[in-house]
Amino acid sequence: MRRIVFLLLAAASLLGTAPGATRPRYGGTLRVMMQAAPNTLEIPAAGTPSDYWNLARILAMVTDTLVTLDAAGHIEPGLATTWQSEMNGKRWQFTLRHGVRFHDGSSASAAVIAKILGDLHPDWGVHASADTLTIETDSISPSLPAELALPRNAILRRNSDGIPIGTGPFRVAEFQPGRHLKLAASEDRWAGRPFVDVVEIDLGRALRDQAIALELNKVDVIEASPQSGTNSARIGTSLQVELMALVFPPNTRAQDARLRDALALTINRKPIQSGLLRGAGEPTAAILPNWMSGYNAVFPVQANVQRARAVLADSRQPALTLNYDPRDPQAQLIADRIALNAREAGITVQVSLSGSPDVSLVRIVLPSSDPATSLREAAQALGLNAPILRSSSVDDLYPAERALLDGHSVIPLFHLPLASAVSARVHNWNPERGGGWNLADVWLEAP
Amino acid sequence: MSFRQKLLLLFALTVFLCVAVITASVWSTMRSSFEAANRERANAVAAQFRSEFQRRGDEVVRKVEAVTATDTVQRIALEINRGASDSAGYVSEARNLADQQHLDFLELVDHQGTILSSAQWQAKFGYPEPAIPGAIGSAGGFLKREELPSGSTLGLFAVRAARIGEQPLYVIGGERLDQGYLSTLDIPAGTRVLLYQNLDEKWNPKSLLDLNGPAAGAEKLLPLVEQVRQTGQEARSVIHWSPDSADAESFHAIPLSGPNQTLLGVLLVGSSQRPLVELQRKVVSTALLVGGSGIFVAILASLWFATRVTRPVKSLAEAARRVAVGDLAAKVEIDSTDELGELASAFNRMTEDLVQQKDRTLQAERVAAWRELARRLAHELKNPLFPLQVTVENLVRAREKAPEMFDEVFREGTSTLLAEITNLKTIIGRFSEFAKMPQPQRKPTQLNEVVQSVLRVFHAQLQDKKQITVHTELETSLPEISADSDLLHRAISNLVLNAIDAMPQGGELTLRTQTVGGAVELSVSDTGSGLTPEECERLFTPYYTTKLHGTGLGLAIVQSVVSDHGGKISVESVKDRGTTFRMDLPR
Repeated sequence: MRRIVFLLLAAASLLGTAPGATRPRYGGTLRVMMQAAPNTLEIPAAGTPSDYWNLARILAMVTDTLVTLDAAGHIEPGLATTWQSEMNGKRWQFTLRHGVRFHDGSSASAAVIAKILGDLHPDWGVHASADTLTIETDSISPSLPAELALPRNAILRRNSDGIPIGTGPFRVAEFQPGRHLKLAASEDRWAGRPFVDVVEIDLGRALRDQAIALELNKVDVIEASPQSGTNSARIGTSLQVELMALVFPPNTRAQDARLRDALALTINRKPIQSGLLRGAGEPTAAILPNWMSGYNAVFPVQANVQRARAVLADSRQPALTLNYDPRDPQAQLIADRIALNAREAGITVQVSLSGSPDVSLVRIVLPSSDPATSLREAAQALGLNAPILRSSSVDDLYPAERALLDGHSVIPLFHLPLASAVSARVHNWNPERGGGWNLADVWLEAP
Repeated sequence: MSFRQKLLLLFALTVFLCVAVITASVWSTMRSSFEAANRERANAVAAQFRSEFQRRGDEVVRKVEAVTATDTVQRIALEINRGASDSAGYVSEARNLADQQHLDFLELVDHQGTILSSAQWQAKFGYPEPAIPGAIGSAGGFLKREELPSGSTLGLFAVRAARIGEQPLYVIGGERLDQGYLSTLDIPAGTRVLLYQNLDEKWNPKSLLDLNGPAAGAEKLLPLVEQVRQTGQEARSVIHWSPDSADAESFHAIPLSGPNQTLLGVLLVGSSQRPLVELQRKVVSTALLVGGSGIFVAILASLWFATRVTRPVKSLAEAARRVAVGDLAAKVEIDSTDELGELASAFNRMTEDLVQQKDRTLQAERVAAWRELARRLAHELKNPLFPLQVTVENLVRAREKAPEMFDEVFREGTSTLLAEITNLKTIIGRFSEFAKMPQPQRKPTQLNEVVQSVLRVFHAQLQDKKQITVHTELETSLPEISADSDLLHRAISNLVLNAIDAMPQGGELTLRTQTVGGAVELSVSDTGSGLTPEECERLFTPYYTTKLHGTGLGLAIVQSVVSDHGGKISVESVKDRGTTFRMDLPR
């Protein structure tokens, strides 16, 4: 725990500091750019992990969850003010905040929230009673509050157009699928009105375009590479909550576990981290970042080409097709480097965006600071079987994670921080340590 | 084949051979000239490629030197010499520099040969650059095989070093040597250039590039490329792309080697054979036209010439035919002084001699005939005259010496005189009858019937002469002939009578008819004593006879009848075995 606290303190020192001496100001339009270009505001049932995270980042500005987690994994009040577990973690009882209303003015009563959560989790028993919400599960669920803090469990309703109606700091004022999203301040939010009146989000803007727009002072908040530098912006980075990994989809040419094992052994992560990621992030062979699990040292990251050759044992292996997210400016180079490394062991990897891939280079965001919840969510995002976890203790986490990695269906590569950059007119910029934006607290300098 | 046809054929063959020889000579000369021009053109293109290669190499050198002189490279070189621990920051530098200089390839390599930054394969930093040891010191451009994420390719490279401190920073840059490079070459019309990138151990058809990428029909060039790959020497070959020879191309393969003489590529300069083939076809068609026209003209000329040459010969032949049928008045009119003229003059002299000789012979024969006639007449008339003389003398003597017996002698004498006078009249009648032979009155006649009629006339006579046996061998399907049956009856009767006379001691008389060619033949054979050859020759001469009491007119009459019917008669005789007369009559 001391290690985690140290890391948190170190990370905090890297954040931009809010100009506390200046008095906050209401009003103004906050201009935001995002790389994602969603056509709906629904978290996709099937899609890339980055799609999930991008929608989650947007929904977090519109909705609330029952509880939230801080960077240390501590549960914080959300729509629920108190909570307690019974029956050894099989039953959880939440006391809801009084008087919360959705953006359309309807009451976010316990019954409504129970209905929403019941629809999201049919296997749960969700019951409402006055201001109390009771959730019963079949198995012990010690991390149920952490799961309820996930974006996919946000409390929201949708209008006839599918536009989400939540209880968050902003309401959706206009949505042009794939192009533009306009959020307006929720005037009577339970936590108070945000400072800015409007948030204009341009969707589908490449990172390079975002950086240029920020340089030209045409935008206030952008996504950024952790290692990028701008002259007039402040970079805010999160903890290493993003996992870059190779994922082998089922039923591809990489059926032989020896091939996947050998490929994992050929990848020299350090030059990639230093050369292509410009020192950002950490090489890893584990799913959970070390700040979260503390045991990453037992997953070696050193390349061993000789051992890779020995694993292959002169077996004839097919050429593999490696694809990547073309929107990711670093992905192609990293994929090329992986292919180059693989050649040393005689493994042919062709980097291509066409055809069905044998292996994919993906990034996923670990959505929770709770290790067990993150491992569970990561396994789902990576297409792995759900891990069996009874608690978030290392004794449970390590064997579960080891089991997930056996067979090398996933080859973790790096843990990376998420980064954002804001212009100088943005004040009180204090992004979440988990990577989310906290736009409700920022205010804009007077023009 | 006539003489004229022979002449015609000879002239035509001569013209044809002349045209063929001239055409072959022109074709051979033209082919060798074209091939020489082709080689020169290929050599020119190859020289142009080498010049272009040199120029492009110089251009690459200039660009690499420009890159080496940039602040970025100088800064990196400085940082390396200062012992910069992390070279990861240079990953994208090479690409930026390559973009500035429009280079396809650019790598920054440290003094150990490790790539610091690669424009063509950014992920390759930290890997060794194998070309550096051999390429250091190269003043100009050189060929190099370059590994890329998508595979290998060929490039024209140059290397320069930025020397700040003890550790040089090598800048190795280049341009692709592919279809884009080929498109920059200025190639003569009818020529194309292919490039085989010798990047694989075995032949790879996809490595053969033309202006549009992988060349079509690469497999046909495999032997030529393989020859260069095996020998490392230039080679030439003609490639036939289709059965049409105009589609063929003459290729000149030039090896392209790297700094260590490794064969990295093969340049193929192809020249279309179409102009040559079309020229050849034009020459052949012209030759055929000229040859055909020549042969046609030759035929006309030879016709005229052969006619001119053969006309006297033909006249000579015609005159000879006329002479052969007895027209000794035939003359050959030739106004020339050559051999044919001499021949014609000789022929005319010959006919004139023949006429004169014939006249002399005819005159001699007439004299001989008159002598023979006189001898026969004298002989015939002498026999009756002697009894007349004796009778008259007896009458005179009886009047003078025994008038009492005169009356009786007178009666006996007058009867003798009358008998002898009758005999004289008979002799004179026969001569008169021969002189009065009538012209045949022709009508369809069956020769067999005439023969049977003759045998019936002689039946009684033959019955009396028991010693003669008659055989008839008459062809049953003997065709009718146009003849005078009475005259034939008379002629055949003479032959039968002669045969009977020839066999006083008996024998066999055979009459045989048969069809021979377009005529019918009658043969009358006896088994008598036969005739000598001399007798046979004179047998048909009038008044010639081998018999004691014959007039010599019988066979002459037979010959006259046969001749009047357009036929001919011949005789074969063997002494002591018999004689056969053979009469051929046309239908």
